[in-house]
Amino acid sequence: MPLNIDWQQILLHLLNFVILFAGLWLLLYKPVRKFMNSRREHYEKMDADAEKKSAEAEEKRAEYEKKLAGADAEIDEKRSAARRELDGYETMRKQAAEEEADAILVAARESAAREKERAVAEARGEIAGLVTQATEKIVLRESASEAYDQFLDAAEKSEKKDGGDA
Amino acid sequence: MTKKQTILFISVVLAVCTVLIVGIVLTNGLYVRDTDIQESMQDAVLHEGDKIDLFGLMVNPGLISAYIVTGVILLFAAIVRIFVIPRFKRIPGKFQLVLEEAVGMFDNMAKTNSPHRNNFLGAYIFAAAAYIFIGTLFELVGFPWVSAAGKSVTLPAPLSDINGAIALGCLSYLVILAGGIVTNRARGLGRTLKEFSLPISMSFRLFGALLSGLLVSELVYSYLSLSFVLPVVVGVLFTVLHALVQAYVLATLTALIYGEVCEPYVKKTKGRSKEKKTRKTEVTV
Repeated sequence: MPLNIDWQQILLHLLNFVILFAGLWLLLYKPVRKFMNSRREHYEKMDADAEKKSAEAEEKRAEYEKKLAGADAEIDEKRSAARRELDGYETMRKQAAEEEADAILVAARESAAREKERAVAEARGEIAGLVTQATEKIVLRESASEAYDQFLDAAEKSEKKDGGDA
Repeated sequence: MTKKQTILFISVVLAVCTVLIVGIVLTNGLYVRDTDIQESMQDAVLHEGDKIDLFGLMVNPGLISAYIVTGVILLFAAIVRIFVIPRFKRIPGKFQLVLEEAVGMFDNMAKTNSPHRNNFLGAYIFAAAAYIFIGTLFELVGFPWVSAAGKSVTLPAPLSDINGAIALGCLSYLVILAGGIVTNRARGLGRTLKEFSLPISMSFRLFGALLSGLLVSELVYSYLSLSFVLPVVVGVLFTVLHALVQAYVLATLTALIYGEVCEPYVKKTKGRSKEKKTRKTEVTV
């Protein structure tokens, strides 16, 4: 053959390379690739887990934010309800105080009127008494002297009578 | 650079040159060639005078080189498989990184060029590239062997033997052909046969590239005066670079054509052909 081409040697080279290929595939290529794939799968799994956890955390965060927003609304609602209640209570208290004040005022007025009446009545009574007393005093002053005079007259008369009997 | 450093540099260069010239003059008579340059170059190409006896078969030295290279690679792979791979860590060390890079590079090349079928292809181009690269570097070792004629022969790169190059080129073509048939049946066969020049181009590219390195090396080493400094440059240019380039070229070509052949056939829709027809009529109008 030209150029020293020899089919037998070509086949020998082929046999050599097939053995080399099989050996390299089994001894080096396959185990190294298997290791690389397993490592890639490990990191992909880690990545997937991390993404899953991240998604879960994100979901929880959204949920908490939603709850927080609900809580804020609830707080606002409760606050406004409390404010309304407080306002109502204040109004009620005010009204009650006003009513109480009115009642007190009415009672005070009535009491004052009664006191006034009573004072007037008492004053009238006292005035009447004083008048009576004054009158009595005046009257008694005149009658007492007369009575005394009468007594004395009577006494004189009795003495005179007793003396005359004796 | 100061004046003192410049003087020192020039003195060193002059001293080295002087030593080299003295060496060249003194060793001029030491090298006596048994054969002339034409014969040695013809032997490098045709191996007619340096056949080696292999169990009764007269073979080229390249075949012995091929067996030695295969033995070395398989021994290395076995050692790695037994002692290194079981100790692989998730965060790789330097050696593990080199192995992973080598395997990963060819695996990715196979996946990129042939996305539909690449498991076998990755392993094949990995083995072929390793064989070409290490086989070509083997030439630098200058492993001696005794020829059938009793002469000392320096074992060449396995692929500088045309039989080795044809074997690898044809095997690559057969791998592509097998991939095409397995994936696309008759269409794959047709696609592969369309590239009928591939085994010849692959074989002779490998043979030519590696033989050129061998011939230049032979030429350089044939003359004593060229044996200083120049072999380093020649060795790097024609051996290391060839090793890298040829390994890469064969792997890339095989992966590329394998991918083309294994690509699933997509039937063209009638709508598109109708559109094309209408476009054509519009253009003619």
